[in-house]
Amino acid sequence: MEAILKRTAQRVHESDDEKLLIEHAQNGDREAFEQLVRRHDRDILRLAFHMLGNREEAREVFQETFLKAYRSLGRFRFESSFYTWVYRIATNVSLDHLRKRQTLKEEISYESDTETHPDRPALKDTLAATTYYSNPERRLYGKEVGEKIQEALKTLSEKERLVFELRHYQGLRLKMIGEIMGSTEETAKNYLFRATQKLRAYLTKI
Amino acid sequence: MSCKDYQHQITLLLYDELSESIRVELETHLQDCPNCHEAYESEKTMHSVLAEDAARWHDIPSDLLVESRRALADELDRIERKRSWWRVPAFSVVFTPMRLLESVALIAMGLALGVYVSNQRQVSPQIAPNPTQEQISGIPRNGTISNLQIVNADPITGQVELAGEISQPLRFQGKMEDDTIRSLLFSALRDANNPGSRLKAVEVLAQKPTDEMIEEALINALVYDGDAGVRMRAIEALQKFAGEQHVRAAFMHTLGNDTDAGIRVKAIDALMARNSRDVELAKSLEAVTKKDDNPYIRSKVLEFVGTAK
Repeated sequence: MEAILKRTAQRVHESDDEKLLIEHAQNGDREAFEQLVRRHDRDILRLAFHMLGNREEAREVFQETFLKAYRSLGRFRFESSFYTWVYRIATNVSLDHLRKRQTLKEEISYESDTETHPDRPALKDTLAATTYYSNPERRLYGKEVGEKIQEALKTLSEKERLVFELRHYQGLRLKMIGEIMGSTEETAKNYLFRATQKLRAYLTKI
Repeated sequence: MSCKDYQHQITLLLYDELSESIRVELETHLQDCPNCHEAYESEKTMHSVLAEDAARWHDIPSDLLVESRRALADELDRIERKRSWWRVPAFSVVFTPMRLLESVALIAMGLALGVYVSNQRQVSPQIAPNPTQEQISGIPRNGTISNLQIVNADPITGQVELAGEISQPLRFQGKMEDDTIRSLLFSALRDANNPGSRLKAVEVLAQKPTDEMIEEALINALVYDGDAGVRMRAIEALQKFAGEQHVRAAFMHTLGNDTDAGIRVKAIDALMARNSRDVELAKSLEAVTKKDDNPYIRSKVLEFVGTAK
């Protein structure tokens, strides 16, 4: 009981402290903003790195997320936690990048027609060059299983992918995921269920 | 609840997202129903495979975090520099085109003089405040103006826009644990125009590289600082942590990329001292330094490879 009270007190203290930091940052205090960033930047980078699968885009998403937070912090009204708010920005930025990549993929797919453009790289080669598992540091780790999972993740819809990413890889609770999505815990549950069903269907097929 | 409903709940059970009552109900049902139990076992197997994959993703490369933070800080610096450029509203004097440049130059000089005079007040209280200074709001009394430029000067309306930068003196005392002191030291590390200040900052931070933020700041200095002296001091401070994975990654990066052979030698020494029997490290070192143009470095690594094997 004492431990619970202590943890609760700690959380209250942290949330008060964060409120103060946000208020300072809203008044243009750069150091306060940097402290806020430091509290959450690992999580945001992990999200971006896994969603996008490569360093360059992860770095771009990281930067875009915090710059958007910096620019719109004045409009933050404490209606959600800063963590939820910044995660919401990060997920939107990540999804934008995935959408852009999808457009690019379609263009490459069209242009890499081997009959008309024999010199251009095939889509699978282009993507392979940018995926996480093309990173030599990661080759040592369960490459095959990891690759299959990455392939399976591509079969998910945008929202299924997002919910699965946030719950499975980032470890967020479904309640918070609902908030991040601007939706409910029930909706997040449904997306998680559908995502796991699809993944199972894909992974048991191979 | 039907079996289908129960099977829907299995995913949530594995993610520990069920309420206590539903969890107990589901677990009881799983004990009694072979079909649902089979579905549960199958889902559990997949869940464990996926969990293993998630564990691999838990750590992000530390150099990526350092790079990302650095890039963000640079971008914020750039934005703030833009913001700190102040704009001075018009003076109610109509300039003729012929006198325009001369007048603008005089105003600029007046501003600078005003700030100078303001700074001298404590020493020479008898000097009257410069009237031009009094007309301008938003300029700190002890600020120093630099990079003054004429943004716009309209001869018809007499509207003049000036832009420049203001810096104010700062003095702060505190302990290393003090957040403000640490933030200031980190800012000093980012001061691109002042290698001396960066070196000092590294030296001060090196006195206590016992927490994550300081370690990261030192890694940042080692990997990105353009000044070899700063990088050398950073590697010296970090060498006792060469057994830690992220410090090791930074040292490997240094070995492959740093142009200063002395720093590369330091990196090898630190890695070898902390990981003397690590065959994998020996192989990585061999690969990274294979093309090193410094024969001493190559021979050192070969010696280490021999010892490690």
